[in-house]
Formats: sequence, C-alpha cells, structure tokens
Amino acid sequence: MAPTLGKRKRITREQFEQPSRSPSPSPSLESDHSNRDDMQDIFRRAFEARFKPLDAEPKKQKITQEPESGKEELDGESDWSGISSEDDVEVVECTSARLAGDRASKAEMRAFMSSKPPFSTHQIHPQSTKPKKVEGDRDDPSETLHLKNDLALQRLLRDSHLLSSASVSASSGISTPALSLTGSQRHRSTDLHLLTLGAKSSVHTQKNMPMAHRKGIIAKAKQREDKRRAEARENGVILEKAVKVKKYMREREKGVGGPGVGRFRGGTLSLSKNDLRDITRGGGSGRGKEKEKRGRR
Amino acid sequence: MADEASQPLLKFTGHRHLTTRLILSTLTGRPIKISQIRSSSPTHPGLAPPEVNLLRLLDSITNGSTTEFSMTGTTLVYRPGLITGSAEGLGASGGVIRHVLGKECGMRGVSWWLIPLCILAPFAKSQVNVVFYGEGVVTSATPSGDVSVDSVRTAILPIYKSFGIDRNIELRVLKRSCAAKAGAEGGEVQLVFGHQVRLPKTLHLLNPGRVKRIRGVAYAVGVSGSNNARMIDTARGVLNAFVPDTYIFSDVSSAPLISNKDKTNPSIKRKAGIGFGISLVAESSTGCLYSADLASPPEGGTPPEDIGKQCAYQLLEVISQGGCASKVAASTMLILMAMGSEDVGRLQMGRDVVGSEEVVQLGRDLVAFGASSWGLRDVMGEKGDGSEGIVVSVVGRGVGNVGRKVA
Repeated sequence: MAPTLGKRKRITREQFEQPSRSPSPSPSLESDHSNRDDMQDIFRRAFEARFKPLDAEPKKQKITQEPESGKEELDGESDWSGISSEDDVEVVECTSARLAGDRASKAEMRAFMSSKPPFSTHQIHPQSTKPKKVEGDRDDPSETLHLKNDLALQRLLRDSHLLSSASVSASSGISTPALSLTGSQRHRSTDLHLLTLGAKSSVHTQKNMPMAHRKGIIAKAKQREDKRRAEARENGVILEKAVKVKKYMREREKGVGGPGVGRFRGGTLSLSKNDLRDITRGGGSGRGKEKEKRGRR
Repeated sequence: MADEASQPLLKFTGHRHLTTRLILSTLTGRPIKISQIRSSSPTHPGLAPPEVNLLRLLDSITNGSTTEFSMTGTTLVYRPGLITGSAEGLGASGGVIRHVLGKECGMRGVSWWLIPLCILAPFAKSQVNVVFYGEGVVTSATPSGDVSVDSVRTAILPIYKSFGIDRNIELRVLKRSCAAKAGAEGGEVQLVFGHQVRLPKTLHLLNPGRVKRIRGVAYAVGVSGSNNARMIDTARGVLNAFVPDTYIFSDVSSAPLISNKDKTNPSIKRKAGIGFGISLVAESSTGCLYSADLASPPEGGTPPEDIGKQCAYQLLEVISQGGCASKVAASTMLILMAMGSEDVGRLQMGRDVVGSEEVVQLGRDLVAFGASSWGLRDVMGEKGDGSEGIVVSVVGRGVGNVGRKVA
C-alpha cells in the first residue's frame, strides 16, 4: 500500500542492485531483441529499395528502447561505487512536513469547521470554472434555425388548445384548422404569451362589474379553495401553503383642523404610549429627527 | 399498559450495551426489562448517573414512554413511546430541548448521548433540536473511550448521507471543554437534526476504496494555541508520508466558566475543562470514513507531540482494520440498515470490527428484538483467503418511522 509510495527511490535502490550483480536472463533477452531489430532493418532496406521509404514507427521504437534504457540505468548504478560506507542507506525522517502552499484554502476550512457535517461529495473548487462559450455554435446558421423552430414549436404547444377549440367551433365549414391564429384567437394567444412573460393579469379579465358580481366571484373562489383544503386535510394530504394576500393599508389621511397628535374621540383627546414618548423625549438627538420623519402617528 | 399483553417484556441482564438496547427498544416499540444491573457491585450497584441521564433524554424526546426502576436501581423496565423530537409543548421551549448533564455525568463525553440521539432522530415525528449544557458536558475525547464532538460531526454524521438523510443536520459546539478530573467541565453542544425520513435507504457498501485524504481538528481549550500547532505538526509528520492531502485545522477557545460553589461569594467563577486534543478523519475514495480521537488526560502531564503522534497511529490502526465501517460507526450503520426497507443491504467490514464485542452483541440484540439475523460471508478479494473482510447482509425491518405519515 501507501508506505512504499513516499520512499520509492530509497527502497528500490537495493532491489535494483541485486539483479545487476546476479546474472539474469535479461542479457539473452536483450540480444534477442537486437537480433530481431537487425533482421527488421534488413527487411526494411529491401522494402525501401523497391517501394517508397517507410516512415518511422514511434510506438515500435518505444517498446524496443524501454529495456535498453533500463539496462543503461542499471549499468550506471552498478558502475558507480557510491559513497563507500558499510552502513545501510540512511533514512531521513522528514517530520516537519510544511511544504509551500500546503495551507488549506479558506473555503475548505470554512466548510470543514462549520457546524454542518462535511459531506464527502461536497467538493470545493477554489477556481470557479465558468463554462466556456462555444464560438462555433453562433456562426452555424442551422443552429439559429433550430432555435427559431424550437421557439415556434413551444409557442404552438402552448396555443394548441386554442387551435383545437377553434377547430371544434368552426367544424361545420373548415375541417383542418389553420396553424396561424386569426382574430380573437390571436388576441388570446398574445394574452397567454404575456402571462408567461410575467404579466400581472390577463387582458381579458373584466375590470368593471357590479360590486355584487365581484363579491360573488371572490366568495365563490374562496369557498372552493377552503373546500379543497378541508378535504385535503381530512385525507391527510399535505397541500402547498396558503398564500395570504396582504391588504395594503395606506396611512389614513387625517382631516383638516384635527389634532396633530393622539386621537380625538368622544370629545376627549387620547394619547397613546407612543405619542407620550414622542412628546416627552423631545427633539435634539438624531434619532428623534428620524422619528419625526416617519410622520404622524 | 394495553400493549403489554400482545408484546411481552423483552428481558436482558447486565449493564453492558444498555444504550443499544434502549435505542432498539425505542425504534421497534418493544418494552424491555433489564435486570441485574451492576448487582454484584458492593459500592455502586444499579444504574450509573449517565445512564439515568440518558433515560431522561429519551423521555424528553419521546411522548408516552415510561421508565420504572427498582429500589436499588438494578432493575429497569422501559416502555418506549413515540419519538416526537423537539415538538412544542412536550418539553421543548421555542423548538429546543435544553438537556442538562450534571456534574456526575462528566465521566462520559457528550458523544455518548449524541450518537444514540442521532440514530433516533431520523425516525422522529418532528425535527430534533437538543442543547446539551451543564457541568457534565465534555466535548473532547475522554479516557472512557468516547469520541469527541468533532469526530461525531465529521465521521458519524456524514454516514447518514448514504442513507438518504442529509438535509438540515447541524452539530454546533457552543462551548468547548475537555475532560477534567473533578468532572466539572461545562461545555455546550447543540444538535439539530431536521431531516426525518420514513425509511432510510438500503445501503450497499462493498468497496472500501483507498484513503485519499485526511482531515482533522485540533482543539485547545483554555490553554495555549501552540499546543495545537505541536499536535498538528507531529500528526502530519506521521501521516504525510502516506497521504499528502492531509490538513488539520486548529481551533483555540477559552475555557468555559463555571460557578465556584462558594457560598461566601456565589458570583465568582472558575475556569473548567481545560486541555487539548485532536480528532482525525480519513476519507477513502469511495466515501468510507475512519476516525481517531485523542485528548490530553485529565491529570495532564502529556506533551502535545505525544497526543498528536498517538492519534495518528490510532488512525492508521483504524484504517488497517479495513472495511467500510469503523468500530465507532459500525453500530450506527448496522442499526440504520436494520431499520431500513425490507430489502437486503450489504456492508463490508473488517474482521476485527465484526468480531468486536459491540457488533456481535448488537447482532444478538437485533435478533432478540425480532429482526432477522445477519448473513456473513468472506470477501473473495485478490488474495481469496477472506482476509479483506466480511460482508454483512442485513435485512431491513420495513417498519421505519411510525410517526411519519406518507403525504
């Protein structure tokens, strides 16, 4: 395992030395290799004489060279007598292992030392790798065409129910509905598009109506929603959270001539605790001014 | 109780493995009776203070559990309730249960409470949010063999991710403290476990991989931060040769102050729980974690170099045991596997880990609680002699979280 990794050079030296001293089958192998090389050379020359010269094969050379270089290294090792001492190789233990740049990044430290457990998949990349823009795509005319078609298809899918309803309504005369919308259908399609783009309300919603109608519509909608929620609760289904519509309360305009502070009711001016605090504190500090800016209470 | 007729009390003896038995009882809903708890001890018969405290903790995170002791405390009957977590109105205020560990609990590290609590937490009805405070909270490793809070956070909690439990889990160390002689430490730890599941996922961990990185935390409480540097230096000196990707972070904090118990001047405080320690976690290429922990002994007198070196050696020993689960994490993993869906999960473990007393007894206890017994087979690795470890096959119970309805 790992123990050999750190001191590979030191440990392998002895191992290297052994085969160099003892005769090994490698020389015969070497000669074999060289013989074969020579043969190939002869063949090659003969071939080149008749046909085109061959280009060099880098892969083949690599294979033949590898043992050769190894041999050279071994020879060098055995030739060199080294520092003449009877002792074994001295192992130096490097305990102060502070290499340059071995400080953990700050992000990593924050991730590890936070209160959350450091999940292993949570990898920290100090260099944010932004996806490079592919230049080739922009030039490609077919790509833009695809994009255009894509948009058109999306739009068609969105409006498909309009088309089908048009075909039903006009089924008496035209059998195949036109893919391009006309008239009110076109308006509706535009409306849908606007809604998907983030319009607040549809163009077709009625703005003005009798109050009783509006109240009725709102009440019915509320009743439906309540019923749905109640049923879900009974069945133990968890629904989305109800969105509470906040009523926008604008500050009430006070009448002219009324008191500047407190509220006048039933012939008495009553002051709230806030009013009293405002009065008694008195201006002077910056905070007081800030309070005043907020307006009447 | 009504269910006693249908479910007779499971009977156990002895004080050993009390925690696992209590957890299994709570998870399976089987009432248990443990007798002969230190009955032979002439001086300290019955339950020890930390064990009583654990029962109190179980009581506060469950609803409807009852505990009965005999007069001497040598016999205990525990009828588990529903695990509610930190639900409002059941002991929690503001969604937080504040659990006090008194001075007498200082002999154990707070991880002794945390690890069982974490096993129960995924099966709770609502999120578990417990603050441990008091004079008996030791966040460091202890001589009694409990790991430090850092190891719980960096080596135990990440295990839950492989079971599909990974959201909203936090372990905050609000005040650090080391084990002290008199048992007055005064740390503070908060566990937030907000991911409740119906069933943990089935686990198949068969390849331990190779260790690719080592992380760690060195902490010094109320002593000089140079102790950290010295621990880190020696630990890295040992480990760097094997894994170059070794970083140990340093955390220096002041000592917690506790009341001096002086009647003449009650407001006077003194420093408690000073010391230093180190927690190391090795992560393999397949995400298996091995951890080691060591802290300065309460009586002091150990140089930080020794602590760092010993901890590094301890980590190497844990790694050499192999497998996908270290001894510390084995019970957590095996219990979660046993509580999973009715499917066979597999876990490769080192021989020493499987053969350890806790794991063997856990297997026996699981059978006693009605789980099917484990299947064991040798790993047929490169050597082919089974020396790589043992694959433990665990069939889940398929009951999971009773408090959690399918939405």
